[in-house]
Amino acid sequence: MATKYETVIGLEVHIELATESKIFCSCSAKFGGEQNDHVCPACCGMPGMLPVVNKHVVDLGMTAGMMLNCDINRVTTFDKKSYYYPDLPGSYQTTQWFSPVAVNGTVRINTSKGEKDIRIKQIHMEEDAGKLVHDDWTNTTFVDFNRTSVPLIEIVSQPDLSSAEEVVAYLERLRSLLRFAKVSECRMEQGSMRCDVNLSVRPEGSNVLGVRTEMKNMNSISAIERAIEYETARHIDAIENGTEELVQETRRWDDIKGKSFAMRNKETAGDYRYFPDPNVMPVCIDDEWFDGIKASLPEFPEVKKDKYITELGLGEYDADLLTESRALCDVFEEAYAECGMAKEAANWIISNCMKVLNRKQLTADMLDINGKALGQLIKLVADGKVGNANARKILDEMFENDIEPEKYAEENGFIVSNDTSKIQDVINAVVAADQKSVADFKSGKEKALMALFGKCMKELKGNCDPQILREMLLKTIQ
Amino acid sequence: MELYITKNEKATGKIIALDDMILTKDYPTAAGSKMLDGYMSLFNAEVVDRLTNGGYSIGGKAKVGELCIDLLGETSYFGAIERNDGTLITASSEIVKIGEALAAIGLDANGTSRRAAALNGQICVKPTYGTVSRFGTISIACSGEAVSVTANTVDAVKEVLDVIVGHDDKDGTSLSEEKCALLKSNAEFSPAKKIAIAKSITDSAEDSVKSKIEEVKSVLEANGIEVCEIDDSVLSVAKSAWNILMSAELCNNVSRYDGVKYGYRTPNYTTIDELYTNSRTEAFGELLKTAILFGSETLSTDNYMKMYDKGLRIRRIIVEKFAEIFESFDAVLLPASAKNAYTKADTDANKYIAYDENLYTAPASITGLPAVVAGGVQFIGKAFSENTLLDIASKLEGVGK
Amino acid sequence: MDREILRRLEKLNQLQLTEQEKEAFLAFYAKQENEMDVLNSINTDETERMVHVMPILTVVREDKVIKKYSREDLQKGAPETTEGYWQVPRLVE
Repeated sequence: MATKYETVIGLEVHIELATESKIFCSCSAKFGGEQNDHVCPACCGMPGMLPVVNKHVVDLGMTAGMMLNCDINRVTTFDKKSYYYPDLPGSYQTTQWFSPVAVNGTVRINTSKGEKDIRIKQIHMEEDAGKLVHDDWTNTTFVDFNRTSVPLIEIVSQPDLSSAEEVVAYLERLRSLLRFAKVSECRMEQGSMRCDVNLSVRPEGSNVLGVRTEMKNMNSISAIERAIEYETARHIDAIENGTEELVQETRRWDDIKGKSFAMRNKETAGDYRYFPDPNVMPVCIDDEWFDGIKASLPEFPEVKKDKYITELGLGEYDADLLTESRALCDVFEEAYAECGMAKEAANWIISNCMKVLNRKQLTADMLDINGKALGQLIKLVADGKVGNANARKILDEMFENDIEPEKYAEENGFIVSNDTSKIQDVINAVVAADQKSVADFKSGKEKALMALFGKCMKELKGNCDPQILREMLLKTIQ
Repeated sequence: MELYITKNEKATGKIIALDDMILTKDYPTAAGSKMLDGYMSLFNAEVVDRLTNGGYSIGGKAKVGELCIDLLGETSYFGAIERNDGTLITASSEIVKIGEALAAIGLDANGTSRRAAALNGQICVKPTYGTVSRFGTISIACSGEAVSVTANTVDAVKEVLDVIVGHDDKDGTSLSEEKCALLKSNAEFSPAKKIAIAKSITDSAEDSVKSKIEEVKSVLEANGIEVCEIDDSVLSVAKSAWNILMSAELCNNVSRYDGVKYGYRTPNYTTIDELYTNSRTEAFGELLKTAILFGSETLSTDNYMKMYDKGLRIRRIIVEKFAEIFESFDAVLLPASAKNAYTKADTDANKYIAYDENLYTAPASITGLPAVVAGGVQFIGKAFSENTLLDIASKLEGVGK
Repeated sequence: MDREILRRLEKLNQLQLTEQEKEAFLAFYAKQENEMDVLNSINTDETERMVHVMPILTVVREDKVIKKYSREDLQKGAPETTEGYWQVPRLVE
């Protein structure tokens, strides 16, 4: 009988933190920008600047730790790791080697085989490296330090994962939790979430680990799936058929060729010579700081979803959509608190707000409107004070400015008028001017009524209860 | 002999000479190395801004040995300073000595500033770690280096120290304004009553140095200060421990000089490794190379625990030993060097002589404690006791010259 | 320490010593090793390492962007740049 094998996988996931500025200097940490525009002498490796830790990095490091059920090290320190590479301007990376911010966590994943807890060894804070652009034409590498010193956390799992499916579930769970806690946007396509895969294969039931290889800097979930499948097969083939000798090494996954390759620069496995950074004082997390972060943690998305369904009566589909993003949940909860109408609030976010976001080419995470104001707007519509079309105009304005919907509606003449004599005047004028539609309607063309209705509504600038208008219009032409 | 690498011909009034380890926007900073020849900083060191804001005039950048880790500037890419009698001296000390500047600002990690002041009969203070911002200095060994002040009189040292002491947000190791104020000349202090001589360290120096210690001792005693010898065997290991920490930190601090972003780049390369290796090999001198390799080795996986980590633990033992001494004494008296003068022959015969001379200068470097040189000898006090040490120094003016 | 370790050490630190420098380094290292023996004869099992000589903690800054330097200024002293990039020989991965 053929031997059965099991794959043993541990992940190191790098996540760029959602801060404004870099970890040790005050340059912008935003993605993009012109090359070498977000840089200063410190992140260009020039002498004389000294590192001062960005407090928000520690906030987010702790938040990530708490979201993943870790113990927080109340005294956490920074260390230097030395190696030469052109994307590393100081020829060292400041990271956490001796006392990382968080240790010993767990992440629960759900796969076709059921629930499983993946143990987290540690989470440490560190600085990112710069970006290299290789040009074969001129045989040159171009160096861009915009990303240098952008804050990262590295989440190191125990080798508890055993399949591509589990890895995908784990990564998606991390992404969901960390986006929810506003730790990071976790956008793999922008490199704000990257993954090193450590993989070995052994006969099922064996307690001896096989030879481990590492694939670095994977940045797409589907590529990770393919790489794991390829690498697993390669290991098994090597073990069974002796096609090659497995060595502990770093490999590069080529997603186009669908193969992994040994990295040419073997000396990178050199000695990193870690030592405590004398310029960065230990960060001591006191109770006040710790409790503040603890109190700011969001409910887990599935807890919220459950609550939305059972307590607020939302459908599963709506609850799913809302809990995709913390920003949507925040606006929804604020709006609901104000107007008391869960379904309406959900509808406004899922349809109207998402439309505006799409138009602006923004993601759901970027929804940044005042939820309380949205609640007020929903109430205005429900009370018949503002028509739907005008309400959408008010919503547009809410994306631009922090307005009070009712005041804004008044100022712009968006309040529904209940002045029936005015409505009748408008109807009379429209009917007089469009006798053809009246005749069409009378000859049985229902559509003609809509044309007249629309003209009246336009004349009234939308400030009319549609039900009243419809009744009065029918009365007039019948 | 040109003492400045760049001189400000327009300097007037109260002139300060800067060791070429202190970054300036208006003058290049080379740190004595071919690697940084012509390097222009985009910003001034905090001390430079404080001095110019305080009405002082920058006299220029004084030549230093490469990264200021040598004995007396002998490894400078721009040439060592030898006096007519063949003795070595640092440029900044000499500039002050001949009256071209009121004071010199240096970066003291390996004791160069203190050593030079002792040999030149000057006053030098290496203040308590964290009281003068290191922002804008070319880092040597961040955990123990300090901006130093050298002048011909105690008053001049005090005056300049008053200007540069203070908290700086840009330096994460900078102490609070409240702590820094303890150093100011108007702060209250108690004059020294009892001083301890570090016996074994003193005994290891040449007779000429020992007799200086004797002379200082008698002057102090004449001033009513009790002076007695103590067992300092623990303090004598500060040298080996600091040599490890200093070299390792230096190795890391100079790894940024790689020919990629600024500074020297070799013309001889086709690959990135050739670019790195040839740039560094061609631009660095032998002492620096040795320090880098030694420092690197103390951090290697195999050696970390018995070398670097050991050094960090020994540091605590030395700090604790000083604390114990300061329970009974107000200062520790010890030489600043083994000899009263050095020539090129000394540094040629032993290129690593500064490593040995750290016997005298490392105890204050590794602990960050304040040290004052006066009368050709050195006093180490407890943290923030600069006023006490300078008060001792004031009793020694004219001694050891 | 031997020549093989020294060779790796040179590579790790991107330096190349001359034959004479190597000899000198090995002698220097041997001397330092002797001093290590003295250090290691001191019992530090109960002594905590001391990285910072001043007992200050948690020096942090607010998360605020400050832009002070232009790319042009930062690249003024650069050996080689193209279109705002620093430039090095093509890396092989």
